[in-house]
Amino acid sequence: MSLKDKYAVVGVGYTPQGKVADRTSLSFHLEAVSNAIMDAGLKKEDIDGLIAYRHFPPCPGEPDLTPQLLAQHLGMTPTYISQDAN
Amino acid sequence: MLDAGICNYVVISYGHSGLWGGGMRQLLFNTRASEAAFGHFGAVGRYALAARRGMHAFSRGPDTWKHIAMGQRKWANLNPAAIMHAKPMSEEDYYGAPLVVEPFRLFDNCQMNDGGRAIIVTSAERAKDLKHRPALIMGMGLDNPCNEIAQAQYTAGPTGAKKAGRAALEMAGIGLADIDACQIYDCFTYTVEVTLQDYGFFGYGEGKDWFKGGTIEPGGRMPVNTSGGQLSEAYFMGLTPISEAVMQLMGRCGPRQLGPKTQTKEPQIILCSDNGGTLQSHACLIFRRG
Repeated sequence: MSLKDKYAVVGVGYTPQGKVADRTSLSFHLEAVSNAIMDAGLKKEDIDGLIAYRHFPPCPGEPDLTPQLLAQHLGMTPTYISQDAN
Repeated sequence: MLDAGICNYVVISYGHSGLWGGGMRQLLFNTRASEAAFGHFGAVGRYALAARRGMHAFSRGPDTWKHIAMGQRKWANLNPAAIMHAKPMSEEDYYGAPLVVEPFRLFDNCQMNDGGRAIIVTSAERAKDLKHRPALIMGMGLDNPCNEIAQAQYTAGPTGAKKAGRAALEMAGIGLADIDACQIYDCFTYTVEVTLQDYGFFGYGEGKDWFKGGTIEPGGRMPVNTSGGQLSEAYFMGLTPISEAVMQLMGRCGPRQLGPKTQTKEPQIILCSDNGGTLQSHACLIFRRG
């Protein structure tokens, strides 16, 4: 069955962008997700799927940013998590 | 997951300390020994190789790419959040910038930046109860011809865009003439040229004329990368093009909003691309105003 027009994007989360000092990659994920949830008019409890975008090698001194780690820091327990890869 | 009923609201997120945190530099060390032995480092080298082959086959190279770099910069100058906002680019600026890896000059390369972006996906039905007018996913297509540039059979294309674009249009039940604007994954200027060519917006080798005269700029007949894109706004992988398509269809783009404000067509349908590796994996998404 065609997926045409069945699903939609309903919120977008932005963060500061450019050269932003003293921030971890994780902190940008958390801020972007929080802002997207608020933008859509949802609560974090509503979110039951979390996909971390495919990523580059970890920054120096940072852990590998898995969706599991994001979910823990967001205080979310999504039913489905995954990481998109190339 | 949504269609299987496992999830109702999915968040897709990207975050990277690519500049201050040194993340993008790591790509230079993510190189196979057999490539490094030939002086082949990082993403710029890989795309430069593909672009050089493209120039051999069909592309006029910088004479076409300058229109992409300068056109997207005009959009960035309408977007206060863009990293290159308030930094106009002239033809002299474009040609005067240093070569990074031949044939790419500095402004053929996307931004290296810190930051993040996220989007929420849900059903069209649930979207009705939410805050914004949704951006409906009208069509999508994927094609992943190979894993690495060294394994690519056709470095000058067609890239995955050809098959993915056809599949997305077919699902949407529309043709290219119905597309009002494009948000194209633009890690390099050349990526925009080859992607639009493979989608069929112009014939093989006709990019040299298609981009002339401000086609993709404010006031142009096919606006492309209206936030400034990865070249001039910020790099968030596929979420740079996707989030901009969504915001444009929601009508939330301020001075860069497509329609009367930018002497462009009021957007009903916007086509987006994402690609991975060095042009090897491709996703095409078509959104429409909900």
